[in-house]
Amino acid sequence: MVVTVIALELLFVLLIVCLLYRAPYGVLAQQPLGGSRRSDWREAQERAEQMLRDVLAEDEYRQLCRRGYLEVPSRSRPRRVYRIPRHQGQVKVYEGGVPVMALCVQPVDPVPDGDVVLMHKLMIEGNEEEYLRVANRFEPTLYGFIAIRPRGRV
Amino acid sequence: MSKLRVLSARGDTVLEWDERKLQTGDPEALAAVREAERIFEEQRARGATAFKVVPDKPAQRIDTFDRAAEQIIMVPRVAGG
Repeated sequence: MVVTVIALELLFVLLIVCLLYRAPYGVLAQQPLGGSRRSDWREAQERAEQMLRDVLAEDEYRQLCRRGYLEVPSRSRPRRVYRIPRHQGQVKVYEGGVPVMALCVQPVDPVPDGDVVLMHKLMIEGNEEEYLRVANRFEPTLYGFIAIRPRGRV
Repeated sequence: MSKLRVLSARGDTVLEWDERKLQTGDPEALAAVREAERIFEEQRARGATAFKVVPDKPAQRIDTFDRAAEQIIMVPRVAGG
């Protein structure tokens, strides 16, 4: 009886170890390639952050760090402001201070967070109509933003 | 110095050239600007959008390479998320 319990416990431990090896980031599998990729990504994040600091005006960068978002005024709609989050996520759109929608636009290939902030800012300032055309839209509700329709237009 | 920056998974790739040296026909500056132009066209063909960036002014989309620009940033193709 005792031997059976011990065997079952060992089996359970083995199962856990196997699952950890198969986890998305290979918790126990410290492969050199995985480590290198992670450090490359960290380096990319740092480069992107440095670039963001170079390109944004000082007050814009300060706003991003303090408030967690960057506000970019629309060039074609006078009362509209786009709020770009510090980390990847939906861009909230405000008109006269009231949230009117959220937009989801992503680069097709993954880029670091800092580059995504810059991507939104450049697209909104220099290519707003195309940005709005590509974006998936979400409507504000009491419970947050819900999808309006895929690839809707304003 | 003028710069072409391409956003990518590695952060950004930067290529610089000296506009003043370019005007005097400096071979290094000419080679650098030709390479920048090649990258510009290559990225555009992949669906990237280029913006001319000047401090304290809104970014301006450009469709042709501007060797006199202070800074050009290329954003990879985007899609609705």
